[in-house]
Amino acid sequence: MKKTLLSMMLCINLLSAFNAEDLKQLKEDDECPMCDLSYADLRGIDLSMSNLRDANLSHANLTDILAHKADFSHTDLSDAIFERSNLKGAKFVNAIVKHVNFFEAKLWKGDFSNAVIDRCNFDESALGSAVFDKNDLTNSTFKGAILYKTIFHKNVVGVPK
Amino acid sequence: MRYLILIFALGISLIASELHFEHDFNTALQKAKNQNKEVMMMYSAPWCPECNYMKEVVFKNKEVVAYIQKHFVVLSLDVQKDTLPAGFNFPGIPAFFFLDGNAKEKNKIIGGDKADKFLKSLKALK
Repeated sequence: MKKTLLSMMLCINLLSAFNAEDLKQLKEDDECPMCDLSYADLRGIDLSMSNLRDANLSHANLTDILAHKADFSHTDLSDAIFERSNLKGAKFVNAIVKHVNFFEAKLWKGDFSNAVIDRCNFDESALGSAVFDKNDLTNSTFKGAILYKTIFHKNVVGVPK
Repeated sequence: MRYLILIFALGISLIASELHFEHDFNTALQKAKNQNKEVMMMYSAPWCPECNYMKEVVFKNKEVVAYIQKHFVVLSLDVQKDTLPAGFNFPGIPAFFFLDGNAKEKNKIIGGDKADKFLKSLKALK
C-alpha cells in the first residue's frame, strides 16, 4: 500500500514537473532561457519574440499559442504539442524535436537547422520558406502540409515528396 | 482563321482565370459599388512568404478565382508602400478585410491558407 501511494505521489510530481517560478517568469518577462517548463500547460499563451533558448519544454502543451519569431534554440521539445499554433519565423535550431505534434501549425520561415527531429506530426502545417538543414525526417509525417519554397538542404534525409 | 479564333478564345480564358488586383482604395470601392460586389482588401508585403503563397498559388486556383471574381473586387495593398486606410487593425500579414458598402470592416480573415481551406473560409463569410 505504501509503495502504491509513493508511486502515485511520484507520478503526480512528475506530471507537474515544471518550475512554478519559471512559469511566472515566462508570463511576466516573455523570456525564460534555460527554464524548466516541462509538462506545463501553456495553451493559448502569447510567446511572440520570446527567448526560450535551452529551456525544457518536454511534454508541454503549447496548443493554439502565438509565438512569432520565438527562439526555441537548443530547447528540449520532446512530446510537446503545438497544434494550430502560430510559429512564424520561430527558431528551432539545435532543438530536440522528438514526437512533437505540429498539426495545423503555422511554421512559415521556421528554422529547424540542426534540430534532432524524430516521429513528428507536421500534417496540415504550413512550412513555406521554412529551413531544414542536417535533419532526418524519415519518421515524421507531412500529409497535407504546405511545402511552398521550403528549403531542404542536401544533407536532409527523408525529404517529403 | 480557325487558329485566330482559337488563340483569341485561349487568351480570353487565361484572362478570366486570373485575378485582377486593384491598388487604390477609392477605385476599388467605386468598382465594387458599380458591380454590386464587396471589396476584399488584402494587406501584404513582397517579403512575406505567406502572402506570396496566396498570390502565386491560392489566387491561381480555379475555384478560388471563380468564387472571388463572382463576389469581390480585390484590393491589394502593400503595407510598406501604400497608404493604408485608417481603422483596420491587423496582428500580422496577410490580412484580408471584407468591406461593406460604407467602406467599413464587415469581416476579416487573418493569415493565409491552402486553397480549399481559404475557399471554405470565404464561403463561411456569406
